[in-house]
Amino acid sequence: MFSKADNSATFAVIAALVLFFIGGLITTVVPPLIDKSWGRPFENHDPTKGPTGKLRPYTAQELAGRKIYTREGCWYCHTQQTRTLVSDTIRSGWKGVRSPISTPDEFVYDAPHMFGTKRTGPDLSRVGGKYDSQWHRSHLRNPRDLVPGSIMPTFPWIVNDPEALNSLIAYLQTLGRAKDWRPDKDYEK
Amino acid sequence: MTATTPQIQHADTTAKWFLLSGISYFFIVGIIALTIAAKFCWPELLGTVPYLTYGRLRPLHVNGMLFGWLLAADMGLTYYIVPRLCGVKLWSEKLGVATAVLWNIIILGAVVTLMGGYTQGLEYAELPLPIDVLVVIAWVMFGANIFGTIITRKYEQMYVSLWYIMGTILWTAFVYITGNFAVEFATGTNQANLNWMYVHNAVGLIFTPVGLAIAYYFIPRSSETPLYSHRLSMIGFWALAFVYVWTGAHHMIHGPISQWLQTIAISFSLLLLIPVWAVVYNFFATMKGQWHQLRDNVPIKFLMSGTVFYLLTCFQGPMHSLRSVNAIVSKTDWIPGHAHMALLGCFSFFAIAGSYYIVPRMWKTKLHSDALANWSFWLIMIGGLGFFVTLWLGGFWQGWQWNNPKIPFIDTVKALQPIWLVRFFSGTLIFCGIVSFAYNVMATVVGRREYVQ
Repeated sequence: MFSKADNSATFAVIAALVLFFIGGLITTVVPPLIDKSWGRPFENHDPTKGPTGKLRPYTAQELAGRKIYTREGCWYCHTQQTRTLVSDTIRSGWKGVRSPISTPDEFVYDAPHMFGTKRTGPDLSRVGGKYDSQWHRSHLRNPRDLVPGSIMPTFPWIVNDPEALNSLIAYLQTLGRAKDWRPDKDYEK
Repeated sequence: MTATTPQIQHADTTAKWFLLSGISYFFIVGIIALTIAAKFCWPELLGTVPYLTYGRLRPLHVNGMLFGWLLAADMGLTYYIVPRLCGVKLWSEKLGVATAVLWNIIILGAVVTLMGGYTQGLEYAELPLPIDVLVVIAWVMFGANIFGTIITRKYEQMYVSLWYIMGTILWTAFVYITGNFAVEFATGTNQANLNWMYVHNAVGLIFTPVGLAIAYYFIPRSSETPLYSHRLSMIGFWALAFVYVWTGAHHMIHGPISQWLQTIAISFSLLLLIPVWAVVYNFFATMKGQWHQLRDNVPIKFLMSGTVFYLLTCFQGPMHSLRSVNAIVSKTDWIPGHAHMALLGCFSFFAIAGSYYIVPRMWKTKLHSDALANWSFWLIMIGGLGFFVTLWLGGFWQGWQWNNPKIPFIDTVKALQPIWLVRFFSGTLIFCGIVSFAYNVMATVVGRREYVQ
């Protein structure tokens, strides 16, 4: 059948598009229709079903911070996904408590998504509430002051702009907070 | 060309424009590549200038190399190949030159916006919306010109390169629209899924088919040997057409995306071995009895080592998608090693080979220096191998360290320092290779002597 395409451009075009659309539609349009959690914000009030909590939309300040995070390309080095690997849940955890894995319903308000592909610095999916504002401020001014050996760039133009700095920190503090996962509730502000 | 067909005089203006701008960006973006590689070793470098921070230069490196160099060069080669395979002149040189001008506007716009921090924040789709629109317009102009040429062709039978080129034009249109426009209407996991469908198919259904079209044309041409099997080339093409688009979700293995979708992506990633091995077998079998040409035929050197890199990179890809392997290599420095083997080691090698072959022919002269061409091969080859292999070793090591949570994260960063240093020096070798390639081409064009034909 395909030998027809040898001589017929029309046949080649139609066959190439049909094959493309079969796979294309099944892997992009169908999944969100089957898995409703892709579009439904996280909400759980039953502790027996795992961590409780509710995903809320970003505030204007957090959105402004998220824009800075996007603009500076933080996501090229920091992923935002605690994968279904034991080591990920331990590394995203805090003081011996393992963090819950990331689920699609925690990211419903994220556009652009910040899952990332490369982990040059640590994953940030549960960084919200781990460090206080002063820590973030010093860290953004010069990461090596707090973490010797770090290769993160310095961001003087953010640190010297109080509004930008506060927005960025406000955004960072939201990361992973939809799930209330730390038993001591010792989240930093 | 058979004796019965009168020799057609091809103007090749469009091909020349695209190729020369592509090669210029190869050099310019090479400087950016070196800069970001250096930032891994010396993080304070250029650290106080917002426009030159790592997070803004990296997308410029990726987009510059993908669209500025590789796609422009591939389009230039396509404008050269298609009229010759069809036995007619290019449908419209005027439209072609206009496309080339528009393409340069797009790339310059990309430089300004990305350094300014105007980004959509999606991998490979960083360019802001107005530039995306220009890309679509340029692509339609390119497609109209190529399809116009194919429809008016003299030879009924279409060589495999033509199908790959037609496939590229059609698939790219939909892949690009999905990755740059449809994503705007989605959020979170849904958006990520569309984004990965685009990212994966930017390589799989844009650079792979057009790259293979180029290799299918230039391997037989530069070795002056007929292609081993037309039928096998068809099997490879139709397998690619069906299999590639399913695999996007393998970028999210173990991540916040449905398990069943991960399993589909893994299965189809393994199926990818079929089109790849069909293509590679065909290339190797074509070279049967011709391997002695590797000694002093520079395009063949690039083409055949590109084929080996294609085989390796497309063996790695399906293996990465396996859950067990993925748990080690995913998100590590192994991945840039893999990605550079695909886009530099394979597809850029094909494009460089094509450039070395067509530049003297288009300008009706001889290559400025064969020795320098040979140097450019060995510099990029040795630099490339140093780059790929150290990142694989480093990335594998890094992955094992991450899987042992007793090791603090920062120690896994410090451990990679020697790897990044070797990467920087390998990158310097690659850059020297790029400079000798670009210089050789420019010297051929500018300093050409008219040879009596």
